[in-house]
Amino acid sequence: MCSQYEALVAALKALTQGEAPAAVITLPMAENEWDTRPQYESYGVVALDFEADALRGDNQKVDTAYEGSVDLFSHAKDGAGWVTLITETLEAYCDGCWSLNSHVFERGTGLFHWEWTFEVV
Amino acid sequence: MAYELKVDGMAEVSELLSKMEKAAPAIAAEALYEGAGIMSAEIKSAAEAIKTGPGSDRNDARYPTPEEKAAVLSVGAGIARFDKNGTEINTSVGYRNAGYIDIKGKRKPIPQIVNAINSGTSFMHKQPFVKKASKSGGAKAMGVMKAFIEDAFEKMNK
Repeated sequence: MCSQYEALVAALKALTQGEAPAAVITLPMAENEWDTRPQYESYGVVALDFEADALRGDNQKVDTAYEGSVDLFSHAKDGAGWVTLITETLEAYCDGCWSLNSHVFERGTGLFHWEWTFEVV
Repeated sequence: MAYELKVDGMAEVSELLSKMEKAAPAIAAEALYEGAGIMSAEIKSAAEAIKTGPGSDRNDARYPTPEEKAAVLSVGAGIARFDKNGTEINTSVGYRNAGYIDIKGKRKPIPQIVNAINSGTSFMHKQPFVKKASKSGGAKAMGVMKAFIEDAFEKMNK
């Protein structure tokens, strides 16, 4: 697994709100998928989705780029502050290689869904 | 001492350039149509690999039902109307105007089904088949378009 992705997952899993230890709230973040929709106000998913590109040389694959995604589901219209924290984390660990792919409202569940995609090597 | 320089065939070059200028928009549009066709086929091939499941209530993550997959495969990725802007010609390939499908008495918009599969939802596993196809098919489509343009200009030159 690529080290850039591992560092990003660790940073996303450690996402906290507030500076003081007593005020720390962690965003429940699953790798790949949640099997059952968690009953949190906000939660996230991070995953490597597919091989996006490869560098070949000397008749072999030298390096591989993967496309991954971060999803935030929140009942709060503004994402309860997690939107800013996720974009700051992406900026720090994956500078310039990410974008907000979609932002939709799920009428059936009342959840707002943000999807960021990124490419890592 | 005087040097005499003579270039033959300028009239032919000028005529060819004029012919190329006139024919370029039509050739570019035909090449774009070929490329869009490749992308559409790539998306369809990726859609065939969509994993399906029995479906469940909204609290369990699930896979699309076989009926939803069949709806996506039945319409295929369409090629949008060509948009000409000066010397540029643009189009897009996707499910934007794919219409609706009746599943178990419910009328569902196909673009919404595609978006749910491609980006995932709180109750559906993500399977980014359109994004994957656009990555894998992009280089192939560019190669086909380049070869088409080169071939068209070569034929004109004969």
